Amino acid sequence: MTTVAPTTELAERERDAFARVELARHPSRPRALQVIARAFSDFTEQRGDRLFGDDRAVVGGPARLDGAWVMVIGQEKGVDAMSRAVHNFGMPHPEGYRKQQRLMRIAEKFGLPVVFLIDTPAAHPGVGAEERGQAWAIAESLTATLQLRVPVVSAVLSEGGSGGALALGLGDRVLAWENAVYTVAPPETCAAILYRDAGQRARAALAMRPGVDTAYELGLVDELVPEPWPGAHEHPDVAIAALRGALVRNLAELKDVDVETLLAQRLDRYRRAGG
Amino acid sequence: MSVRPGSLPVPGPRLQRTTSADTVACPACGRRFVGDRFERALRVCSSCGRHARVPATLRAQQIADRGTLDIVPITVADRDPLGFDDGVPYPQRVAQARAETGNDEVFTVARAGVGDVPAVLACMDFDFMGGSLGSAAGEAFAQACELAVAERRALIAVCTSGGARMQEGIASLAQMARCSVGTAQVANAGLPYVTVLADPCFGGVTASFATQADVIIAEPGARIGFAGGRVIEQATHDRLPEGFQTAEFLLAHGMVDMVVDRRALRSVLVRLLGAYGAHTS
Repeated sequence: MTTVAPTTELAERERDAFARVELARHPSRPRALQVIARAFSDFTEQRGDRLFGDDRAVVGGPARLDGAWVMVIGQEKGVDAMSRAVHNFGMPHPEGYRKQQRLMRIAEKFGLPVVFLIDTPAAHPGVGAEERGQAWAIAESLTATLQLRVPVVSAVLSEGGSGGALALGLGDRVLAWENAVYTVAPPETCAAILYRDAGQRARAALAMRPGVDTAYELGLVDELVPEPWPGAHEHPDVAIAALRGALVRNLAELKDVDVETLLAQRLDRYRRAGG
Repeated sequence: MSVRPGSLPVPGPRLQRTTSADTVACPACGRRFVGDRFERALRVCSSCGRHARVPATLRAQQIADRGTLDIVPITVADRDPLGFDDGVPYPQRVAQARAETGNDEVFTVARAGVGDVPAVLACMDFDFMGGSLGSAAGEAFAQACELAVAERRALIAVCTSGGARMQEGIASLAQMARCSVGTAQVANAGLPYVTVLADPCFGGVTASFATQADVIIAEPGARIGFAGGRVIEQATHDRLPEGFQTAEFLLAHGMVDMVVDRRALRSVLVRLLGAYGAHTS
């Protein structure tokens, strides 16, 4: 039998659970372009998917990390009203995922490791996105990443939501800032599905355990990167330095792994993913 | 292996006849069918053409060459990674779905001949918790892929799902990756992979194995997409175009290879495996 917590205590736990989501969505947390600007050098953005358009929710191009060239591809939410509109709040359209795939092919061609930076509530739900194959684009990103013949390190910056995040979420190593959330869907969507009421997002947040520690326990995230108290939003430079260190260390460990071994380990890892 | 020799197409399965005089009604137009007539029409309404939902095992029977269907039992330990309780504990919901459908989980996996080509069928059951993709379903699909590779069989997946299984949270999301490993292994082995998308097919299923196939077939009128229409309307206040996310809409946008009437589905599958099944054995 389950014991029913007193109503006030339950409400408190729901509030705490949703507070984690709100912290991860805090507008002052460092965004992908800030991480790229401060942790990488010589970033040279490449735009467009060569098929339909340029999706600014996904940014990417070659950059140097600790001196070595990598391909960095991130989801950008924007930092103010105007840039949030430009970057569509970090919610990619199919063009964003197809740009990602294009840059991955370039990385493979020239032997650059790939670094993904995740920060999205979900892939964009919209008419145009569906018409142009949102699901197809995400599915292709998954396949392409599993088979990519260079090391891949992914990092969840703040919010990782749904297949829209997972498209950039497979890797030989997956890192996450400790205050990030990683969920199968935003709690609002989860509440709409389970309780037919998006307003019950706090209840859904408690039930779905959104913190990255859950993903860490289940093996979808390998390393939690510490943030200075009370979080990356207060001390972005310290948090970015810690993330940079973790990225450099993990890439160094992967650098000399034979590519066939790398691919076999990656497939084996995701064959067992999620139990 | 239970594939019969001979070059002629093997006739389709004989559906079970019932002696019941009961009638069933088409869920769309209400036309009534006596006895097993609706079943024998593969649950396609002869009046309005509506393709009604088909349980996974019946679907496998509809596709397999007669006498070749061999259901592969897949046992997966029950998991409740989050200890999920939304009023009803998750394990209780699973137990309820088992009682209602008579199935263990979402997938029915079977060996079969399809036009004499050895195949693995992986059929989803929408009535089992909305065909949602949990860790048991992910494991079943991964095993179906491995069976195809080990025995050099084509893979046919019949996909129908509301998407991720919310009750498993992030573990459910991981199943998209697990299923993608399976389809990658089938592709790397040079084996054909065909999907049939039935109504409805959404979320993480469409955004992984349902669309990673060599050939994507959609059933007439099936609703297929990533985000559901209601979610899109609420999020964007966009007006949804006529026929949005239907099989025909996706065909027009280049997202599926063909829309095939269920009564012709088997013969199309036989032809496709004939064309692409050279590396099966």
